[in-house]
Amino acid sequence: MKDVFAMWKNTKMVVLVALSAGLYAALLIPFKGFVLIPGITEIRPASALPVVLGLLFGPAGAWGAAIGNLIGDFFGSLGIGSLFGFVGNFMFAYVPYKLWINLGLVSKEDSEPDLKSGRKILAYVIVSILGSAACALPIAWGLELLGMVPFAALGSIITINNSVPSVFLGIPIMLILYPRIKKWDLLWTEIMDEEDIPVAGKLSKIGGIVMTISILVGLVGGFLAALGVGQGLLYSGFGAGGDVGTAGVILIAGIGTAGLIISAFIQSMPKKEA
Amino acid sequence: MDMFLYMDLNTYVHRLDPRTKLLLMFLSFAVGVMYKNIVMLVAALVLVLIYGGMGHILSNLKRIKVVLIMITLFSVVIWSIAQSGETRFLIFTLEGVLYGIMIAIKTNLMIVAGMVFLSTTKIEEIAEGLVKIKVPYRGAFAFSTAIRLVPMIVATSYTIIQAQKSRGLDLESGSLFEKIKKYVPLMIPTLVSVIRGTNVFSMALESKGFGYSNNRSNFLQLKMSGHDYLMMLIGLTIVAAASYLKFDPTAYNTLINLFPWGDFA
Repeated sequence: MKDVFAMWKNTKMVVLVALSAGLYAALLIPFKGFVLIPGITEIRPASALPVVLGLLFGPAGAWGAAIGNLIGDFFGSLGIGSLFGFVGNFMFAYVPYKLWINLGLVSKEDSEPDLKSGRKILAYVIVSILGSAACALPIAWGLELLGMVPFAALGSIITINNSVPSVFLGIPIMLILYPRIKKWDLLWTEIMDEEDIPVAGKLSKIGGIVMTISILVGLVGGFLAALGVGQGLLYSGFGAGGDVGTAGVILIAGIGTAGLIISAFIQSMPKKEA
Repeated sequence: MDMFLYMDLNTYVHRLDPRTKLLLMFLSFAVGVMYKNIVMLVAALVLVLIYGGMGHILSNLKRIKVVLIMITLFSVVIWSIAQSGETRFLIFTLEGVLYGIMIAIKTNLMIVAGMVFLSTTKIEEIAEGLVKIKVPYRGAFAFSTAIRLVPMIVATSYTIIQAQKSRGLDLESGSLFEKIKKYVPLMIPTLVSVIRGTNVFSMALESKGFGYSNNRSNFLQLKMSGHDYLMMLIGLTIVAAASYLKFDPTAYNTLINLFPWGDFA
């Protein structure tokens, strides 16, 4: 996670944080009225952006997604959920760019996210879905912990609400933006100092695997525990009743959330080639 | 049209330090999270409304009324069906209605507290307040710049939409899905035109000495006054009293016995 903090000393990365956040917020705000769960979430075509921003701008995209979501909340839904939303949206962009390489989905020789092959498109779809789930996990866990919204309902709604735009809108956006960003030398690996880009190692692979397992265990395990106490997925989660704030759900989803954050710290990325 | 909630007035609340207002907002969140009791949540909401009234910004409630009404309707309808209870009529239960009201008040309390903060605090005050509470300057700068960029990005997208309309693009006809399909390609020029400015923007910043020194001077000087300490003291006292009431079994049972229908802890 060294890159996440080291990037702040680079002016261009700071500007990319601001632009990413501004773009994300500007696309979130017009849809604030298309509510899915009032005060919590709404229809979000803007969810197409975090994965793209993460893959192109790395840590700047992750900070941009987190700040952009917070600014979006300023337009009528700022609340305690915004704190978890900050973490969740950070992970929404952070997880895809980390797993893009560390999970071994693309070859190390040709790892640029240009989506020019079927393998890269498949990798994009996988990291988008994992990123969406990584966004849902801390938010659903946090609001379950506070006894506000059932975990199974919120977790499933956010995962789907994020996955669909990030896959179906994200791929064309990526295909159009990538060549331009590359031409303008704005890829994060081109901007950041070489010593700030973490060096690859076994730890990166382990970190990637731990991150994936944490997301899946936290979310799927949390769903199973939640269904066990009478909750339901999607909107049936509200209709099913069930206890909100039960220890089992909080524990399993909490372990997943903790694993997600710890794995972020132990991951590294390949060193930029000279 | 002004996109932001901030109202430029010179009231007691507006003059408070942004750190004080930030603390008061988080204290409101704390009470909202702590209680599942209608009476206590209503009391907290009334206090937040009085605080907002002192800032003369309650007219902004009109701007977020749709959100507040949606939250209330959604909570009451969903929970009145979902929550089991003895007093049933059709598919609804009275216990569920009360539970839904409690959840609605809890969520609305936090949103109104957020609205009061944003209506009485300028963006530059928020950014400087963040720096004062040790958020790194560059993070606060990115945050405030992003907020300023939002209206510019929206204006850019309107310009692009108008340009395409003038070339014959029909955005009015078709179903909702068809309309969304037409709007999606219009996102691309907006994204490209905003990102294209990155290099120029960073050069402009560095030419003005951005990042030269960690000890920056600011035109806006924040200073805590006696009023800030007084408001903080009042806020902390209220939360301390609420905590005592919550965690002292005798006091809490007295509250429940007074209003047995309103507690869901």
